[in-house]
Amino acid sequence: MSYRWVEHTAEVELHIEAPSERGVFEDALRALAELIGETGNGERVSREVTVAAGDRAALLTAWLEELVYMAETEDLIAEEIERIEIEGGRLSGSVRARRGRPRHLVKGVTYHRLAFEGSGERFTAQVVLDV
Amino acid sequence: MSERPSVEVLRTPGGELRQVGEELWEIPAHGQMRVPARVFADRELLGEIAGDRSLEQLQNVATLPGILDAALAMPDIHQGYGFPVGGVAATEPPDGIVSPGGVGYDINCGVRLLTLDVSAAELGSRTEALVHEISRRVPVGAGHGGALRLSGRELDAVLTQGPRALLERGIGSERDIEHTESYGRLQGADPARVSDRARTRGADQLGTLGSGNHFLELQRVSQIIDPTAARALGLREGQVTVLIHSGSRGLGHQVCTDHVRRMDTAIARYGIALPDRQLACAPLSSPEGRAYIAAMAAAANFAWANRATLAHRVREAIALVLGPDAASGARQLYDVAHNVAKLERHHDRTVCVHRKGATRAFPPGSPEIPAAYREVGQPVFIPGSMGTSSFVLVGTQGAMERSFGTACHGAGRRMSRTGARHQITGKELRRQLQAQGIVVRCPTDRGLAEEAPFAYKDVEHVVAVVERAGLARRVAQLTPLGVVKG
Repeated sequence: MSYRWVEHTAEVELHIEAPSERGVFEDALRALAELIGETGNGERVSREVTVAAGDRAALLTAWLEELVYMAETEDLIAEEIERIEIEGGRLSGSVRARRGRPRHLVKGVTYHRLAFEGSGERFTAQVVLDV
Repeated sequence: MSERPSVEVLRTPGGELRQVGEELWEIPAHGQMRVPARVFADRELLGEIAGDRSLEQLQNVATLPGILDAALAMPDIHQGYGFPVGGVAATEPPDGIVSPGGVGYDINCGVRLLTLDVSAAELGSRTEALVHEISRRVPVGAGHGGALRLSGRELDAVLTQGPRALLERGIGSERDIEHTESYGRLQGADPARVSDRARTRGADQLGTLGSGNHFLELQRVSQIIDPTAARALGLREGQVTVLIHSGSRGLGHQVCTDHVRRMDTAIARYGIALPDRQLACAPLSSPEGRAYIAAMAAAANFAWANRATLAHRVREAIALVLGPDAASGARQLYDVAHNVAKLERHHDRTVCVHRKGATRAFPPGSPEIPAAYREVGQPVFIPGSMGTSSFVLVGTQGAMERSFGTACHGAGRRMSRTGARHQITGKELRRQLQAQGIVVRCPTDRGLAEEAPFAYKDVEHVVAVVERAGLARRVAQLTPLGVVKG
């Protein structure tokens, strides 16, 4: 599993390559945690997450939007996936999050150059975040 | 919109541009483009513009249903998402579209300029104390402590009325509202179209600056370029000013998120094919289009109320450091929106003008601008970056003829955030700015480094192109004394 940030003049563009669909969602979570950071060593809590969308790429944006929303409104930075199930256009599961104030904010998870492709043991995705 | 014909051609990776006017270049309509793409720039700026995906994004905008005349780009154009930043598109109701991506996530991100009845010489050694006091009163970054807390009903009033809803709290004045684009209130705002998630995100963010390129800058009027216009605007050399750059915060971000998603699922129903999903849109007359317009207007009103609250905090800081007389002398010169879609009259038609990182620039005589400015034109602010100048301009008739009454909104980025961080650390930049006599308050070194001056184009060059293109006229130059960054 790996992710990297690709040059973008004004925003940030995330590219992910993973051996499974779950891996893409895990890497997206880790990349976001790195991007927004957090202050302090707050308590760790478990949080249920459910999102739905019409296709895999839109599901990835919905997943990231949910994590952004959690960070901004509850000061909870998701650090790892505890459980995840992806079925049809629905993702449900739980994440382990640390309580803390994010250092940086994400305004939006865009559909620009949005992609989610792959099969077997290689999946790739890309998404641009408005910061 | 007749322009001087020319045969000059510039080949770039983003397309072949033909010069069609003074600082105006065009990519003719081809493929799925319904209209040409036009860029206000000179050869030097075009060289930078061609270095990213801006021109590709502008040509994508030209494919939108109902777009009129041309997809336009201001001289500060750079790569965004969907629309380029610095992009302008006008569409015609009822079948022309509205696109949330043509406004952006930070709905009504904009700038407000306050002028003080105090000179930089009089401020003198109290500069640092004033910047420090402002930074104590204005939550930045992800911070929300100190924001105005609103009940559900109070939030509805802000969404409907904008800063007028805050007058009874002693925030702002009738004069401030008179000196605000659209008088701080877009008609048709409907709080019921703002989702619970958007309300939750914005609930404790009124009066907060945010992060990214948002800032609050203490400045000095370093040069008067047009004395007559400067007098009309109340500007004089040496005067202290405060420029406030922020938007609709999480509430606006969520409104955009909600409506991009909704339109993404609706475009097939309207037979719309798009080269980029972020251009998701719907006809202005459709249920999706009307819902977005009503929610966007509410978010825009929230943004004006946010900047009104930030200005109130600045006045509190001025009162504490310089005394109550100085605070009551802090006048609002004007407040302009950068990211908005508005119904306006152009060329004898009512059109929906999308401005994504662009400023309305109405000319002298426009009934849409305050009576006090009607002889000189609408104030336009073009901020530079930290350590560089900002400019006050006024709108012109040329903008009405060429750009749907629009000028640019800043210097425009030329380097990625990562690129900026690779060239300088926040600590070093802080040291350099302080060596220039600029007081800096920013909670993170990374955020500071990402906004380094060299990450932006030369603002003086951009402003010169704006003026030569006839979109706005320079009035005064402002130089920084101190900056509070998100």
